[in-house]
Amino acid sequence: MRRAIVVGLLGLAVMLQLSLIPAIRPFGVVPNLALVMMMLAALNLPTSEALIVAAVSGLMLDISSGTNFGLWTGVFMLGTLAIEMIHQVGIELDRPIVAPVLVALGTVMIAFVLWATMVTRVTHFSGATFVSRLIIELMINLTLTVLLRPALSIILQSRRRQLESGVR
Amino acid sequence: MNRSRANRRIIIIVGISALLATLGVVGKLGPIRWVFDHTVVPVASGLSGSGVNAGEALSNISRVSALARENTRLQQENADLRQRLAADAETRSDNDLLRKQLGLNVAVVSQQVAAEVVLFAPDSYRQFVTINKGSKVGVVPGLAVTSEGVLIGMIADVQPTTARIMLVTDPEFKLAAKDQDTGAKGILRGQLGNGLMLDEIGQTDIVKPGDSVTSAGLGGQVPPGLLIGKVQSVNSRANVVFQSAQVETEFRVSALRFVYVVLGI
Repeated sequence: MRRAIVVGLLGLAVMLQLSLIPAIRPFGVVPNLALVMMMLAALNLPTSEALIVAAVSGLMLDISSGTNFGLWTGVFMLGTLAIEMIHQVGIELDRPIVAPVLVALGTVMIAFVLWATMVTRVTHFSGATFVSRLIIELMINLTLTVLLRPALSIILQSRRRQLESGVR
Repeated sequence: MNRSRANRRIIIIVGISALLATLGVVGKLGPIRWVFDHTVVPVASGLSGSGVNAGEALSNISRVSALARENTRLQQENADLRQRLAADAETRSDNDLLRKQLGLNVAVVSQQVAAEVVLFAPDSYRQFVTINKGSKVGVVPGLAVTSEGVLIGMIADVQPTTARIMLVTDPEFKLAAKDQDTGAKGILRGQLGNGLMLDEIGQTDIVKPGDSVTSAGLGGQVPPGLLIGKVQSVNSRANVVFQSAQVETEFRVSALRFVYVVLGI
């Protein structure tokens, strides 16, 4: 049931990422709710399940993004694998810093790949606009992470205990 | 589950995902795209509509004081445009008559297909939208797309029931355009967050702030004369080969709901 809640919330986040959020564009940027929810879901699901969810939601975003096919799938899968590595080296996934760091790295990675694609093809590229957008998006994404992490943790508390005891 | 079995499972999932991503890059995701177009798109369509309405409402709240001024300006512009439209109808009938007398083809009105914006690009940097009409109704890559009489972009790729539009504000957008008032030609480019730029205008050409910029219709499938925006400022220096002009477009991505694909002339 709790697993279904995580997958359902992630599905909703992906749908909003493709429709409502880009239509509203707070502060002129598109906050990455899908990335935030993906990282929070990956912290709360077994790795193999998290990878399947990452692949499906990443593909959905890639299909509608219009450019750099595979970027979203790649970032989501890398984030999930990074969580598995963090878990294996013995770092507590419950630490409040883990989710924001992963979201920040994911945000920067997506921006960097898009920048690398554009900068080679565009003659008049405004680096300042790009950086200012990245900073605003980073701040919104981190705020979303800080707000959503405790809520999701409460929903999935018992599931997390199961993971910590070695089922992962 | 033991460790090696779990690792094997992870490797298989990563492998399948990499394969799907590769198929996506080479455009061979047919059945998955079909499922996406028939499941995600209808749901997202409703959410997009709500998003556009919410965005508009928020935007109106933030600029409520400017709305009265804008309303007065639009009323004046409307009266002016009605007058020009009446004059244009007269000119068009004269033009058709003269063309007939000279044995030239009479210009035909372009065919258009109405479509609804169903998906937006999920990031802050690229400017793509997806519409709910595709190759089944004759949409092909390269066609012009308008909204409220303004060119908003070109079809980038097409599926049977959907098509993706690269908006004029995307940093990779390029189109031959001209100053409608003076005939000066240039290349229109999208700029990240900074509107549009009419670039590569000859040094001797005249471009003035307030002039209308339209498509030039040079090559491709975009017909000439589609309104794109107005010249905001001109950047001209004696020591450079070309002039450039900042162009202001009236459409906003967040307000896009219904668009028209110009099928051809």
